[in-house]
Amino acid sequence: MTSDYQEKLSTAQRFALVALRTLIGWHFLYEAYYKLAAPAWSPAGGPLPAWTAANYLKGASGPLAGIFQRMINAGLTSWIDRTVKVALLLIGLSLLLGLFTRIGATAALIFLSLFYLLYVPTIGVPQPNAEGTYLIVNKTLIEAAAVLVLLLFDTGRIAGLDLLFKRRRVVSGNEMRAINETRNTEEPVPTMREAS
Amino acid sequence: MNLTEEQKTIGRRNFLKAVAGVPALVVLGGAALTRGPIKGGPVKIALVGTGDMGKGLLNQYQREVCDLKALCDINPKRRAGMVEMMVKKGWPKPNEYDDWQEMIQKEDLEAVHIATPLWTHSTIAVGALNAGKHVLCEKMMAKSAQECQQMIDAAKTNNRVLEIGYQRYYNPIYQAAYTNIIKQGLLGDVYHARLAWHRNASWRRPAEDPPAPNFDASKYGYPDWEHLLNWRMYRKYSEGLLCELGSHQITAASWFFDSHPEAVYANGGTYKYKDGREVYDHIYATFNYPGGRTATFSSIQSNAFDENYEMYMGTKGTLIMTRELEAYLFNEGEGTATTRVDVSRQSSSPVADAAASQPANSAARTVSPAEGIVNKGISYLNEIAEFCSAIRTGGPVRCGGEKAMTSAVAILTGNLAAEKQARLEIPSPSST
Repeated sequence: MTSDYQEKLSTAQRFALVALRTLIGWHFLYEAYYKLAAPAWSPAGGPLPAWTAANYLKGASGPLAGIFQRMINAGLTSWIDRTVKVALLLIGLSLLLGLFTRIGATAALIFLSLFYLLYVPTIGVPQPNAEGTYLIVNKTLIEAAAVLVLLLFDTGRIAGLDLLFKRRRVVSGNEMRAINETRNTEEPVPTMREAS
Repeated sequence: MNLTEEQKTIGRRNFLKAVAGVPALVVLGGAALTRGPIKGGPVKIALVGTGDMGKGLLNQYQREVCDLKALCDINPKRRAGMVEMMVKKGWPKPNEYDDWQEMIQKEDLEAVHIATPLWTHSTIAVGALNAGKHVLCEKMMAKSAQECQQMIDAAKTNNRVLEIGYQRYYNPIYQAAYTNIIKQGLLGDVYHARLAWHRNASWRRPAEDPPAPNFDASKYGYPDWEHLLNWRMYRKYSEGLLCELGSHQITAASWFFDSHPEAVYANGGTYKYKDGREVYDHIYATFNYPGGRTATFSSIQSNAFDENYEMYMGTKGTLIMTRELEAYLFNEGEGTATTRVDVSRQSSSPVADAAASQPANSAARTVSPAEGIVNKGISYLNEIAEFCSAIRTGGPVRCGGEKAMTSAVAILTGNLAAEKQARLEIPSPSST
């Protein structure tokens, strides 16, 4: 993605993309926060036990369920738990801050794909203790698709800390030659909105 | 309370019908709308007093809510037994102490649970509160109004949770009865409650050897081992039947009456067991509540036919709570016929649903209408869980110092009235 491409987007379109990234970032970050905070107490007063992915993975029925269940049986539960907590935290921060956004979005896509492939909804009727009715497509898959959009539009370069890196790169790469060539033609220097 | 099987079936069915359809879920949390998890794991706690009460309590400790760090008791035999029990139940071995002060100094504790003889409550509670520990003290609160006030003041000064363990407050059956029967007005106007706790036994503990040949009870304020073992028999340590048994029922009556008694007539004596005990073995007390409402309490040691129950007699119905385990509701004028009160407000039962989805280890705040019977332990379990929850979440406790003191003052006044064979005004909370 280049800044040229992004500049063709309207302000509303760019705003919507960044808003989408922020919401998904919050979702990841809060999931991480909760898992890191436990054991804790619910505001209603009940104890919240330490978080573990074990029960979630044991109950999985999707194509990847077998692999993870073997990992649990091999004693890797605490490793999985730690990895998930740290990954969710880093992905959340990345998407919320727009920092290393493409790496964050790629990781988010991988994790959401794992979650989807652990629990593919194949029964299209309401399930006990779960909201909504899903067949093949559930909200995890939709969130993954939304992350794919974020990845392709590289929204860290619309708004986010990635902009800090962009400035450096613009003046050191092909853009510099373009600037020089433009100057050689003695035409007025075009406004390079984000070039310093 | 002796009902026929048919009466029990009908009364139980009426009770369940009345409590179904109205959610009994009580949320004790704070006021904010958007709230995430509240930091902190299980509350680091120690139990002082590992006698019968302590044993019952320890059985209801859950690792999700509390981390038992230490056990304290002056009786090393009992204490060791409790340590062994906890280790068997899968707990890490708690440290043992015979001196609660040493324990508070040495252990990294957040809370202290007190289940010692009555006369020691205030000393331990005030000491623990002043050391910055939260305190859950089993009933009755203390042996005098002054001691109760000292506990309240210490909790306030140190900004710590102080809760007095009256387990009926935590019993799902009582909670359901209060919320769905009393508050709904299904009994009409209730002018009389009959409270009874009848037994046919001496109340003495079976003879037991001292925990060690050189065990010196005088170090702990008891002239000999027998006085320690049977502390309930002696006025220095105990307030007798009205306190040990009656205070449970009087406190429950005050809860259901949403009030507290203004005066008490009482009499009693040591009629059957003239064995050197200083407390009465028969006591009869009449507590007057505002609005012409009266609760009578009797506790006798010479006949167990009535067992123990509380009976609320209203103009529209009668509610009977027996042995903390069962509840019966009868419609007035219909004898034991099925109630006509329409309580089926919803076709499904959120009470049942909530109970079914409740994780086994969480604080159960709903009544399971399955049989109308609960395990008595669940009251203690909820009591401990809610105390720990109050520490973490800042939520209210069901029976804090003020409420417990009001009740204790009524009981202490009752004992005084029995001694004088007289009617005494009960000092109101503001004047004590």
